[in-house]
Amino acid sequence: MSERTVRDGGAPLPGNPRGDASPDRRDGGDSDIAPQRHDEPALLAVDDLHVEFDTYGGVVKAVRGVSFSVRPGKTLAIVGESGCGKSVTVQSIMGLIPMPPGRITSGTAMLDGIDVIHQKVVEGEDIRGSRIGMIFQDPMSSMNPTMTVGDQIAETLEVHRGYTRSQAYARAVELLGMTHIPEPAERAKQYPFVFSGGMLQRAIIAMAIACEPDILIADEPTTALDVTIQAQILDLLDELQATTGMAIILITHNLGVVARLADDVAVMYAGQIVEKGSSEELFHQCAHPYTLGLRAAMPGNDPHREQGLQAIEGTPPDMFDPPRGCSYFARCPHAMRLCEDRLPERFEVSPHHYASCWLQHPASPVEVPGLYRGEGEAA
Amino acid sequence: MSTAAFEFGPGDFERVAIERRTQTLSRPSVSYWQDAWRRLKDNRRALISLWIVIALAFFTLAGPLLWRVDPAAQDLDQVSQAPGLPQVAVIVEPYVPWAGLRATPLAAPAGGPGAAAGAGMPTDAAPTGLRLVEPATTQAVRLAWDPVPGATGYQLYRNIYDTEPDGALGLPVAEILDPAQVSFEDRLDLEAVPYWYSVVALDANGAEADGYVTLRVETSRVISAAEAETLGWIDDAAAVAIGDEIVLPYHPLGTDYLGRDMLSRLMYGARVSLFIGVVAPLLFVVVGIVYGSAAGFIGGRVDQLLMRFADFVVALPFLLFMILFKIAFGIGPGESGIFPMLVALVLLAWPATARLVRGQVLQIREEGYIGASQLLGAKTTYLVLRHMIPNTMGVILVTLTFAVPSVIFTEAFLSFIGMGVAPPTPSWGSMSNEGLRTMLTHPHELIFPAIFISVTVLAFNLLGDGLRDALDVRMRGQE
Amino acid sequence: MFRYTVKRLIQGVITVWFIATATFIAMHSVPGDPLSGERLTNEEIRANLEARYGLDRPLFEQYLIYMGNMTRGDFGISFTQQNRRVNDIIREHFPVSATLGILAVVFAALGGILWGALTALFRNRLPDVVIMFLVILGISVPSFVVAGLSQLGLTSLNALFGVSILPVAGWGTLLHMIVPSLVLGLGTMAFLTRLMRSSMLEIINADFVRTARSKGLPPTRIFLKHQLRNAILPVITVLGPAIAAITTGGFVVELVFAIPGLGRYFVQAVQQLDYTVIMGTTVFYGAFLVFMVILVDLVYGFIDPRVRLE
Repeated sequence: MSERTVRDGGAPLPGNPRGDASPDRRDGGDSDIAPQRHDEPALLAVDDLHVEFDTYGGVVKAVRGVSFSVRPGKTLAIVGESGCGKSVTVQSIMGLIPMPPGRITSGTAMLDGIDVIHQKVVEGEDIRGSRIGMIFQDPMSSMNPTMTVGDQIAETLEVHRGYTRSQAYARAVELLGMTHIPEPAERAKQYPFVFSGGMLQRAIIAMAIACEPDILIADEPTTALDVTIQAQILDLLDELQATTGMAIILITHNLGVVARLADDVAVMYAGQIVEKGSSEELFHQCAHPYTLGLRAAMPGNDPHREQGLQAIEGTPPDMFDPPRGCSYFARCPHAMRLCEDRLPERFEVSPHHYASCWLQHPASPVEVPGLYRGEGEAA
Repeated sequence: MSTAAFEFGPGDFERVAIERRTQTLSRPSVSYWQDAWRRLKDNRRALISLWIVIALAFFTLAGPLLWRVDPAAQDLDQVSQAPGLPQVAVIVEPYVPWAGLRATPLAAPAGGPGAAAGAGMPTDAAPTGLRLVEPATTQAVRLAWDPVPGATGYQLYRNIYDTEPDGALGLPVAEILDPAQVSFEDRLDLEAVPYWYSVVALDANGAEADGYVTLRVETSRVISAAEAETLGWIDDAAAVAIGDEIVLPYHPLGTDYLGRDMLSRLMYGARVSLFIGVVAPLLFVVVGIVYGSAAGFIGGRVDQLLMRFADFVVALPFLLFMILFKIAFGIGPGESGIFPMLVALVLLAWPATARLVRGQVLQIREEGYIGASQLLGAKTTYLVLRHMIPNTMGVILVTLTFAVPSVIFTEAFLSFIGMGVAPPTPSWGSMSNEGLRTMLTHPHELIFPAIFISVTVLAFNLLGDGLRDALDVRMRGQE
Repeated sequence: MFRYTVKRLIQGVITVWFIATATFIAMHSVPGDPLSGERLTNEEIRANLEARYGLDRPLFEQYLIYMGNMTRGDFGISFTQQNRRVNDIIREHFPVSATLGILAVVFAALGGILWGALTALFRNRLPDVVIMFLVILGISVPSFVVAGLSQLGLTSLNALFGVSILPVAGWGTLLHMIVPSLVLGLGTMAFLTRLMRSSMLEIINADFVRTARSKGLPPTRIFLKHQLRNAILPVITVLGPAIAAITTGGFVVELVFAIPGLGRYFVQAVQQLDYTVIMGTTVFYGAFLVFMVILVDLVYGFIDPRVRLE
């Protein structure tokens, strides 16, 4: 399947930067970190996002000052435990947080000079569905049970591209084919409940990329699926990225998925990003004890690994009353006295690789095996 | 933020021991019922409803002890009395018959074509000079008017509304066929309210003329000393003098069309309505629990059979069969009709609870914690007492709460169509039915029982809503 | 779907048989067995009844005769009126009740869906609070009170304007139908509003609605094609019981507004203890309601693809 197949559906949006994506990035790009890569203008830049929820027990500070950027045609993975705020982060960008009880207290997300958090409709068109597509964790409940799959895909095209019903429907069948659904014409006529989970996730992906968005947000796209199906869905995402050149924001708690797909990684803990950098750096030069812990908890391919899986002791902090200092303090095996009361500064351990941890401070005497120590430059 | 902004102390970079750092959870754990009670307390509507229910219980149980008026006693001097302050009556002389006034019948105006007297009376002729002969009292209203030329008689009407807007003259109280008789004494069920009396002249054929004259009359409440003693309002007729005021039996909410005290009837009516409303749900919920849990526990063929039968009972049109069963069980002298209604309700209403309980039992039986408990060696009685009952109690309690208003409605409906409790036993439904007949003239007779039904149903509905929200585990941790 | 339809129809027939049998048993357990004719003074009616119901035969044979009559669609003859057949009574009065009932059901369903959706969209804001207060009132006030009060209101309204704006009672023209059908549908509308509201609240933030938002669909389209469409389904499932409630509620409304429907006739028969008319109309009403419920279920199956295709 060539890149053209995708394009045929409609004219690309003006200023769409996806054209210069390199299809061969998997082959050569991974081994070294080319500094100029980071100097590309960011496609989507999220800055200082804060999200709160009013609940019976009080205000939950779900996201506390998250900043990251997504490069065109690249995959950014946001990793973290359940409840760390990764889904809330992307949902607030998409305006999917129910308000109330949710509330975005501050932050911007710039896409081509537009803050998409505060402005969803640009020149009469919603950026959602056209410039940013999204797929969700549970495919079975993410589709309208009373509309056929084909109609639900076609609907997006009718709204954004002004297609007629039959045009849109024909295109929907094509899209189902692109996501490798067998007999797409037959499947398009069916209702979601006759689909299997994996098939439905393919259909949802087809729906999300119908208008060839610049960014696809995948919120734990494989969590609800069988392991064998998971791999197929990841392959599909990879393939679609290669053909369409879209950027992907991948939300996951699975480091295996990260290793497989991501160019850049942001590690979230208790509503904050504790470490971010390229995928390579995060796996081989981990600079935050939490990332180190996650890595130790990840099943590897190495049968000779000595220690087996290491669980991270304890539970994440209470988000009603987040700790004053480092939120990982209570669980960190290397914690120091100042970690309890002082929020860690952000250190740039190597170019474009940041970690928020006092261990990176030049004055820190503690040597942690496996932890990468940067220059100690506070960013 | 830069490094220079901080002063680092010597001990800052010391490692800390792991014991010191465990964060304690800030929220205490609460049991299911504690949590439910907290949620209910936070629901203002449910809490107010709870107070209303308590107040109703007090009204029903303690009310008749405080307000000792016989609900069946008829106070015929205060029939359909509107609620208000105590009524007073002035002592007067005993009633003396009145001969009335007579006048010489006037012939038809000259030039009248008719031979017979009155044949020439104009069709729009109206009497004039309608007046009171003496002040109007509840003992008698004595009216007189000027004769109409050519009239053969007079027709008298009495209305409790102003006749002005639509010309409705009201109740025909007398037809006088003697043209000389130009007075009338009204003694028919007089109350201390304004009346509008109208007089219409009759022509030679006995037909009414189009014209009429109307007089507004204010009657004052009076009673003779002997009568007052007979009624027990005063102890000794000799002790009062003419012109004294005595206070009549007090009816704070007025009286009904038979002069029975509304407040007392509402209290006794509450006994019937709430008795059925509470006891019937208790009975059929118990039947439903037994039936449903039996089906759920035994399972298999028996379950299939039991539930199929329940399906048939559910399919019976409820109110039709309530009526049918009421007829089947309820005929007989001295029946108040409460017991047949209970039996009919239980016979028809149990399947809903049975289905619910069976579903709960089947669901809970599959829960992981039941399996875990069994693995740990729990006995069946322990499982039932410790897991089954606490986990179904919430749902059953909610069902019970919602059943109360629906049963009260059913009772009211049946009583309304005359298939409920038999008179003279009061119930809110039968009181509404009676009130509806006098609705246009004495709306309080409908409005009071209607308010009681509505407030009770409202309170139980809101309480049920509150309980459901409080007891529904899925709602925990939300809002 | 065909098999399901057949299955439901067979179930319906069995249910109607059950209703007829229960009616027979109930009537024969009336103390003093009215069907034995002891209470009858009119010789002609007694002879008629004996011929018709085989009253001198053993109970089981009577039952067979009765069921035979029912199967032929013969609902019997009056116990109090000479030569009056229940079938004639139904034919004469049921169309009136049906017209009133259909108007009330349409009014209740449309109103319930509209108000329910509206309150859910305006959750906890003024329209929601006001409508839900009225709804709670509508659920808590018995229909005969509403009927009585609306009549009182109409009387004073007509008196106020000096002309008859809407008739206070009776039947015949469309004007006669407005107030009774509104009163009849009110309780059900309140009930459906509540149901629609909770159903809509469940849907309003459902996963697939979130998906629809993520596709950038306009709010009206999300509301109509994704939220409303799914939220209406539970409302349709309870339309069967709602029709039953409106039918029996019609008894009272017809009585109060003096509408010559079958409901009023039934209540009169109940008050006069016209046993055979009660039996006949009960079975007729029962059969009618059973098949209305089945009809609603089939319509639901047609609307919800999950049921249709199973």
